[in-house]
Amino acid sequence: MRTISKSFLLMVVLLVGAELVGRLLFAQTLSGRFDYGYDATAGFVENANGTVDLVRAGGRKFFPQSFAMKREPGTARVMVVGDSVARGRDVASSYAGQLGEMLRKSGVRAESFNLGLPGYGARRKQLVLQQALKYNPSLVVLHVNLSNEFEDEREWRRREEFRSPHPRNWLMKSVVIRRLFEVRTEKIFWELLPQEVRLQGAVSDADAEIVAGMNDATLARWNNLVRDQTALSVETARKAGVPMLLVIQADKITAPDGRSRTDDLGQYEWAAKLAGPDVEIIRMKDVLKDQDVDAIYADGSHVRAAGHELLARAIFERMKAGFAAVKN
Amino acid sequence: MSFLSWQYSFFLPLVVMLYWMLRLRARMVLLLLASYVFYGMWDIRFLALLMGSTCVDYFCGRAIVGDRSATWRVFVTAMLPLAWLLACGLLPHGAGDVRTTMFEFGAIFAVLFPLGYVLMWRVSEERRRKGFLLLSIGSNLAVLGIFKYFGFFATSLMALLQMVGWDCGWILPQVVLPVAVSFYTFQSIAYAVDVYHGKAKPAQDLLTFGAYLAFFPQLVAGPIERPAHLLTQFQHAAQWDWSHVHIGLRLLLIGAFKKAFVADNCAILASYVFEPGTVLNAPWAILGVLAFAFQIYGDFSGYTDMARGSARLLGIELSQNFRLPYAARGPSDFWQRWHITLSRWFRDYVYIPLGGNRCGPILTLRNLWVTMLLAGLWHGANWTFVLWGGYHAALLTLYRLVPWLGRLETNTEQRGFARYGSVALMFCLTLVGWAIFRAPGLAGLGAWFAALGNFNATLPWLKPAAWLAVHAVPLLLQWATRNHQDESDLDHLSWPARGVVFLLMFVLFASALSGEQEFIYFQF
Repeated sequence: MRTISKSFLLMVVLLVGAELVGRLLFAQTLSGRFDYGYDATAGFVENANGTVDLVRAGGRKFFPQSFAMKREPGTARVMVVGDSVARGRDVASSYAGQLGEMLRKSGVRAESFNLGLPGYGARRKQLVLQQALKYNPSLVVLHVNLSNEFEDEREWRRREEFRSPHPRNWLMKSVVIRRLFEVRTEKIFWELLPQEVRLQGAVSDADAEIVAGMNDATLARWNNLVRDQTALSVETARKAGVPMLLVIQADKITAPDGRSRTDDLGQYEWAAKLAGPDVEIIRMKDVLKDQDVDAIYADGSHVRAAGHELLARAIFERMKAGFAAVKN
Repeated sequence: MSFLSWQYSFFLPLVVMLYWMLRLRARMVLLLLASYVFYGMWDIRFLALLMGSTCVDYFCGRAIVGDRSATWRVFVTAMLPLAWLLACGLLPHGAGDVRTTMFEFGAIFAVLFPLGYVLMWRVSEERRRKGFLLLSIGSNLAVLGIFKYFGFFATSLMALLQMVGWDCGWILPQVVLPVAVSFYTFQSIAYAVDVYHGKAKPAQDLLTFGAYLAFFPQLVAGPIERPAHLLTQFQHAAQWDWSHVHIGLRLLLIGAFKKAFVADNCAILASYVFEPGTVLNAPWAILGVLAFAFQIYGDFSGYTDMARGSARLLGIELSQNFRLPYAARGPSDFWQRWHITLSRWFRDYVYIPLGGNRCGPILTLRNLWVTMLLAGLWHGANWTFVLWGGYHAALLTLYRLVPWLGRLETNTEQRGFARYGSVALMFCLTLVGWAIFRAPGLAGLGAWFAALGNFNATLPWLKPAAWLAVHAVPLLLQWATRNHQDESDLDHLSWPARGVVFLLMFVLFASALSGEQEFIYFQF
């Protein structure tokens, strides 16, 4: 019998050990991990030496970047908040990176940061913006896009799934168990089972449930949500006294004549109403209007480096014209 | 209350702690109360039915051995179901929705049973013994007949009459099937028959018998125990030993893993494939039935393991119900490995009383078919279950009549290809049986068979196959226990290996929990 108790003891020790290792050694990675981006500070690591590191943590896949917590006087600090389109393939080729380069070449002391996060919709971008405003940017660029509300909704449901202190959720309070549950959901459940299988009533799956409930009314509700959240973001930046530039996403669509063209799906109409003294708007549709759409776009919504360069140039021109000029 | 519910994770440790602190008599009180709470979590009204069965079988058991109870005791005990229903009726609506019919049943029982009991004592001893035996068996079969089969046979009869042109227009009452009724009625019948044949002694008191019949770990889905094995354990106080905890926890862990990780995940695929209206091709049809094979095994054997583990924590050993059933070499071997306690029940209380194999080949086959058809019907009031029983009867017949098939099963000296070939053949035959079992109806079964001839490649199946492999392959590790008596035995592994296996099972089980899925056999 003693050998059986030893094996149970080993199991408990390994479990507790894995939990401790997870909580102590991977504390930073796991911080806000199960908030799926709804933790405002996730991915922002404030160091004792007064710098901030952007890291991949808490459901936020930031490109690694660092900056001083306080902006130096006379330095332009641009922060681009957006989704995978704004994020691009890397910092250097994204419009955030290229803008910084253009500003510096033109003799402006500038730093530009890419805070783009794949799959982020208006709700989660607002949270990133709130955190970004704490680091004294001289300009915030908000990339406005309609296409990520599904992810925002799904990730919110996943965040809420095990939040209550009810005993049925106790096992999921373990980071090891929860992380395994997460891996199983993302890498096995979503990957291997077709949606129609996951859509069965008995299966609990936020992804499939949202797909099942999607219709014109849901999409309209989400579009209104993007509008309201963007207005809230503008208001937040205004209150913080930080100028904001809204970049209105344009997607590549195929016209009835078979040719590709761009369309911003009516976003400009409502975004234009948000413009004001410290809020300006750039339409991707205008920026890319004379371009070969098929060459500029990598897919239906993401632009290649050349597209990012054009966007960076458009923002640069606005700044050169005096928008968000750095006073000290 | 389900074994995988959060309530059970508090309920069981509490019962176990209190149990070991008490003396025998108090333990019985605790077990009875705990079992009634456990059962009442589903539907408190049907506790009246359990009380009724307890009353009938206890007094009949005592009477079979010639021990007459005082009439007032019989009367008071027979009043308990009615009293319980009246108490339920006082509860707020929803918790105690007791219909008038239930009160009527309770009142009729409270009058008729004591009356029958008193009258039975007026006849000769042998007739009285037989009479009490028949009263016990008859009352249990009546419960099954009313609650489980009434709707099925009535609608089948109506359909038959409609076919011959007579629309009888009956309005049938909606009868709710109480959880566990198939299991405790069979256990009660086994008790009465074994006491009658002198194979077991009747319970000395109503409390012990009540705790025995309602014993919560095995009340809902077995194993179906015999009094000589289980009741005797209730009559002597179990001695505390750490091995109870070790073995109990091991069985609980293995059972939870089989249920939450294997069965519930295979169920996702099986439910989709057998959903009426699903468009299938051959690979999907096969995937579906494979998924169901592992689902039902993981579900039921997982339940049994948890039942055995829970009982073991109380120092009580329950019978094994499974012994690597998919390693069977033939249908007879399969039934010695699958739901063993039910197979033995049908063997001892139906097949052998019918004459077994002692009365020539034709009658043997008749007995076999009757037994298997009844076993099929036991699983549910649906023609697909009867067909499933018939299919297994046909397999048993075939293996008896075709010599080379019979040799595949009986020649245990075979090694290599012949051995694995016989296992593979029986597994394929079992899968066909599971398709019959799982199909939502005869039309659904026809659609499943038709899909086997559809090789349309537009339905991708590789990824779902990988899903099934991820969740079913860990069960194959049980092959390592093929030379052991118990398929949940891990003693052949070194303790570090066992520790790692426990860890893997725990994390896979815990991370697979996503909602509480009901056990399949609860509905039978």
